[in-house]
Amino acid sequence: MTPNPTAVGNPFAGAKNQQERRERITRWLLRLVTFFIVAVTLGILALIAIKGSPVVFRSQWPFVNTKFLTELPSTLHVIEDVKGNKQEVEVGHADEVKAGLGDNFHSETTISYSGGGILGPIVGTALLVLVSISVALFLGVSCAIYLSEYAKHGKFLELVRLAILNLAGVPSVVFGLFGLGAFVLTAPVFTHMPMDRSILIIPLGFTTLSFEGWDTCVLSGGFTLAFVILPVIITASEQCLQAVPQGFRETSMALGATRWQTIRYSVLPFAMPGILTSSILGIARAAGETAPIMFTAALAFKDKLPWQKALPPLPADASIFAHWEQSVSRLLGVFTESVQALPYHIYTIAAKIPQNEYSERAQYGSVFVFLVLVATLAATSIWLRRRLRAKYRW
Amino acid sequence: MPADLNNDSTPSRPTLGSLLLKSQRRTFLGVDKQKAIRFFFASNSSAAVIVLVLIMLFLLREGVDFLPTYRHELETYQHAGLEFCDLVEQPLAEHQQLCSKLRRVLSASLNTITYQARSRRDAAYQQMRDVEEETRLQRAVLTNALAEVPPAALEKLAQLRQELLTATQLAVSRLAVPPSLTPSEGWQLKRDLALLSPESAEPPLVLELLSAAYIRVDTEAHASFKPLVEAVEAFEAAPDELHTLLNTLKKHARETKALVTDFHSSGKGHGRKDPIDFASRITPLTSRIPELSGRIEAYAQRAQTAAASLPPQAGTPQATKMLSEMRAMLPGHLTEMRAAAGKLPQWSYEKRVSYFKVVLAFFFGDAWITNSSWQDFFGFIPLLVGSVLIAVLAVLIATPLSIIAAIYTNQFASVREQDFIKPVIEFIQAIPSVVLGFIGISVLGDVIKDVSHVSWLQWLPGFPIQERLNMFNAACLLALMAVPTMFSLAEDALNNVPRAYIDASDALGATKLQTVFRVIVPSARSGISAAVLLGLGRVIGETMVVLLVAGNRIAIPDFRSGLGVVFQPAHTLTGIIAQELGEVSRGSAHWQALFMVGIVLFVISLLVNWCARAFVRRFELSKS
Repeated sequence: MTPNPTAVGNPFAGAKNQQERRERITRWLLRLVTFFIVAVTLGILALIAIKGSPVVFRSQWPFVNTKFLTELPSTLHVIEDVKGNKQEVEVGHADEVKAGLGDNFHSETTISYSGGGILGPIVGTALLVLVSISVALFLGVSCAIYLSEYAKHGKFLELVRLAILNLAGVPSVVFGLFGLGAFVLTAPVFTHMPMDRSILIIPLGFTTLSFEGWDTCVLSGGFTLAFVILPVIITASEQCLQAVPQGFRETSMALGATRWQTIRYSVLPFAMPGILTSSILGIARAAGETAPIMFTAALAFKDKLPWQKALPPLPADASIFAHWEQSVSRLLGVFTESVQALPYHIYTIAAKIPQNEYSERAQYGSVFVFLVLVATLAATSIWLRRRLRAKYRW
Repeated sequence: MPADLNNDSTPSRPTLGSLLLKSQRRTFLGVDKQKAIRFFFASNSSAAVIVLVLIMLFLLREGVDFLPTYRHELETYQHAGLEFCDLVEQPLAEHQQLCSKLRRVLSASLNTITYQARSRRDAAYQQMRDVEEETRLQRAVLTNALAEVPPAALEKLAQLRQELLTATQLAVSRLAVPPSLTPSEGWQLKRDLALLSPESAEPPLVLELLSAAYIRVDTEAHASFKPLVEAVEAFEAAPDELHTLLNTLKKHARETKALVTDFHSSGKGHGRKDPIDFASRITPLTSRIPELSGRIEAYAQRAQTAAASLPPQAGTPQATKMLSEMRAMLPGHLTEMRAAAGKLPQWSYEKRVSYFKVVLAFFFGDAWITNSSWQDFFGFIPLLVGSVLIAVLAVLIATPLSIIAAIYTNQFASVREQDFIKPVIEFIQAIPSVVLGFIGISVLGDVIKDVSHVSWLQWLPGFPIQERLNMFNAACLLALMAVPTMFSLAEDALNNVPRAYIDASDALGATKLQTVFRVIVPSARSGISAAVLLGLGRVIGETMVVLLVAGNRIAIPDFRSGLGVVFQPAHTLTGIIAQELGEVSRGSAHWQALFMVGIVLFVISLLVNWCARAFVRRFELSKS
């Protein structure tokens, strides 16, 4: 950009050279700092990949540690015999192995949460994400439609925008407190026997509506997470709606369509792919949050999957209808169970149990799986967004 | 065509005019379908507002009772006389600090004489432990066999002994004699250790000799530092009588408090007891004020005498320095003790605890003590200081990094570099905070600690550090978390600088660097400030990293160590909620206190947002 001064016989050429050198050095310093951030990030990812992949992958077929991905977490027993050989044993078989060793038995160490796999946390996180993204998409997209298609400048719009902005800044642990107060302890349920803590009981004849809360369960956690990611979804959706050219709307209106028909047939179809891809980023965020689910949904340990709840056994001659009803209640019961969640599981095994080689394995394994899930989501979102941008260019 | 125009219009008598000019609409309570849809979206869009209001409401609902509850607790604290005891107890706590300083002085002094003997003894014992560790399996088997009832066969025992002997000899042969031992001692040690067996009760002879030598040297050392030893002992024993009296009083106060708790819990049932007569319960305390004051004075005298008899010089320069520090602290401590004795007669159990005082006790209290058998305190300052220190440090680290990265990426980087840098930095946002916290526990903590023990870095304040988990560690990770927010906002701000400014600068013959640093960055200043503020907002509200990494020690960091303060552990506003809320029962003062902390956090986040918006508004104004 700067013309070469020597070419025009500039008397300050010497000074200029010095300046050029200084400029080059500064530029390199800036580059160094930038790549320092990049290097730190990649270093962390590489570390987790290097230490975590041996836990998840195997060198023989099927190349994946299926046990780690398909079993529930359990306590690991490490049994040492007199020769110093160590054996890792699952919780149920420890006594067997000890009896088998007989006199050769030397010592036993137990490490909580480090045995088995992480299926429970994965399922729990999936359920939480499912609930939260459904709620957040419903609220967020309709909010964005209003903001972008209906709202006129005014007090209400200002207020909504301000609220969204502030909601995005609320600390996640405060969302946790909110979820605890609102969903766990106050939200309305239909019940025959209202609890003492209920703040409002509305008799409906066949049942009562009692504001006594949902307890710690997937629903409470999912709703809490939904509000954590709501600002992200609203902002992203609004951007996608705004990106649809104004001409589409005008054309539709000119053909006599109502406002809703315009939105339904001329705006949403073109904005929806963008909204969905952006919401994947919301999913990643929801999956990664720990503080909001600490008091609303997550358990440190659970030995059953959410749908394995014990229901009263049906009589042998139960009608097919009874079976069907039980399956449905089992399916819906999934949402009223507290679950393990991946981030909370990582917190538990990183902070609450003593560190050794066995717990480290569980830690890096869980972190690796978690990060791969989240990174896949984030990367998919970024990639899809790029493709969409290339596709819808108007 | 008309049906398409409006799906639900059912013209009863269709005429051309009515179709073209006004389509009849089905309405309900004056609301037609279009309005209903519009209303539906409008109500959904108010979700954000409603949630924000609900957050405030629910936080207040659980937290607002904190003031009366805590007031009641403080009142009980006062009425039962716990406060009376604390008047003396709290200043007396400093005696412990002084004692520990003296003990360190003493051990440093003794160490100058005993160091060699002790390290020789310790080295030898370490060798024995090494051998025992190597042969632990064989030893365990033999011990089990010996303990068996009925006793194991002699041949088996002999065989086991032989195995142990072989293993021991193998282990001994691998030993390297420590340099502090003479060759002959080393040889004896090896010989004795080779015969080590679980049956021999006494340690090998060499070890006993070395121990005896150490004890002898130690006695000598004590003799040569006799004045110091005696002064330290006298100083330590100075408050004994005061402690005895205080413990009696404390016991009484605690009993009164138990009565109060009992009274209030029985109040909910039917058999309500008579209210407690605090006046008569408090007399046993107040009647002993003269005695208490006398003992405080006696303690002060004794401590002074003991301090006066301390020798001017200790064994090492550092010890002498510590000794003079202790001497400097003592007068203040004694003044405080005497002042406490002066306050005792004025103390009254029935003074009212006003709400103002409760609010002060919460917002300016310097102790957060829970689950205590004595008295719970919910003082906010230790947590706030931790949070603010960590957040400020994180922002200090993140700001230069992210702004420089933004400048470089926006102004200097080639397109290919940009395509690499931007996604990577944006990806940091997707890394869950609990993962970063885990990195802090498992990797960064050790790295920082190792670096702090490198000898040529010892000039840095706070080095070498003791705690793996500390504020600096947390701040580094939080800085990394704040980088993407700051980076993208700062980059936006740089992008928004009008093209004309840059062209004008170029036209004046400025170099690229001059344009960037004298035109672009200054005009983006307010946008960059907003970026920094929003980064601060993100950092101060972050929970998992600080919970995992900050060390969770609830105390105001010790600022006397200067900048080294950042290497101390601390607790934070967010961390305390996450850590303690799961373990308290609903409605207790502790529960309510945690919700109060939540309210404060919420307000802080609103404030930060408001400031950032103010900056952005200024930025938009300056642009236009």
